[in-house]
Amino acid sequence: MKIAVSGKGGSGKTTIAGTLARAFGRMGQRVLAIDADPNPNLATLLGMSQEEAASIVPLPRDLLREETDASGSRILKLAMNPDAIAEAYGVKVPDNVTLLVGGKVDHAGSG
Amino acid sequence: MCASHSTVRGILGELMAEADRVTVTDMEAGLEHLSRGTVKHVDILLIVVEPYYRSLETAFRTHNLARELGIERDFVVANKVRTPRDEEAIREFCQRNHLNIIAAIPYDERFTEAERLEKAPLDYDASDKGVAEILRLAQALQTHTPPQV
Repeated sequence: MKIAVSGKGGSGKTTIAGTLARAFGRMGQRVLAIDADPNPNLATLLGMSQEEAASIVPLPRDLLREETDASGSRILKLAMNPDAIAEAYGVKVPDNVTLLVGGKVDHAGSG
Repeated sequence: MCASHSTVRGILGELMAEADRVTVTDMEAGLEHLSRGTVKHVDILLIVVEPYYRSLETAFRTHNLARELGIERDFVVANKVRTPRDEEAIREFCQRNHLNIIAAIPYDERFTEAERLEKAPLDYDASDKGVAEILRLAQALQTHTPPQV
């Protein structure tokens, strides 16, 4: 099951995403929580302190590689399998949830 | 900087697609960044709304975009519902615009307290009414037969 949580800033989407991830873990699932927000805050909603959250290393940018599919089109695939990525870059939080953080974006630059 | 984040979007989209476990993704705020690449393997898109018109309007646009992007199922989650009138307004809007609402989460100041204390809502007070409703939502999603609320 792949769930994406969207909403405006301040709507509480991160609270809902974080609590849902922990809830699925309590229900016996292995869960990957993915923070795709360039202003990442999911870690704290999963139970980490601000200090712990600040020390999370975001995913490196070189995890995609180009492949050619059966029809000859170029597609992008992960250079490592997802479990290996979770193992290498994921942060374990309670209830069998692993968190992956995409990274922070400096909005001072041009759009 | 945005070029860099589009790379991140690509990686996270593929992770969602290829991961062999339940994934819950906290998306970028707003809907400008929803694209086929990032959501192509999303089973369920949850659209979190607050009980005011502009939030509902955004939810409607998100729903239409989700359709265009081929997302199979999307549901509205009403959040910060303070009064029966709030809930009624959201339900009315959803009904009129053919949006499915899957949960109505009450406004709960314990979410704010938990945040101040740097605790997850579940660790702070798992019995509170807001958390209880999110747990119910998790059950509904897991069974894949979301009840009409």
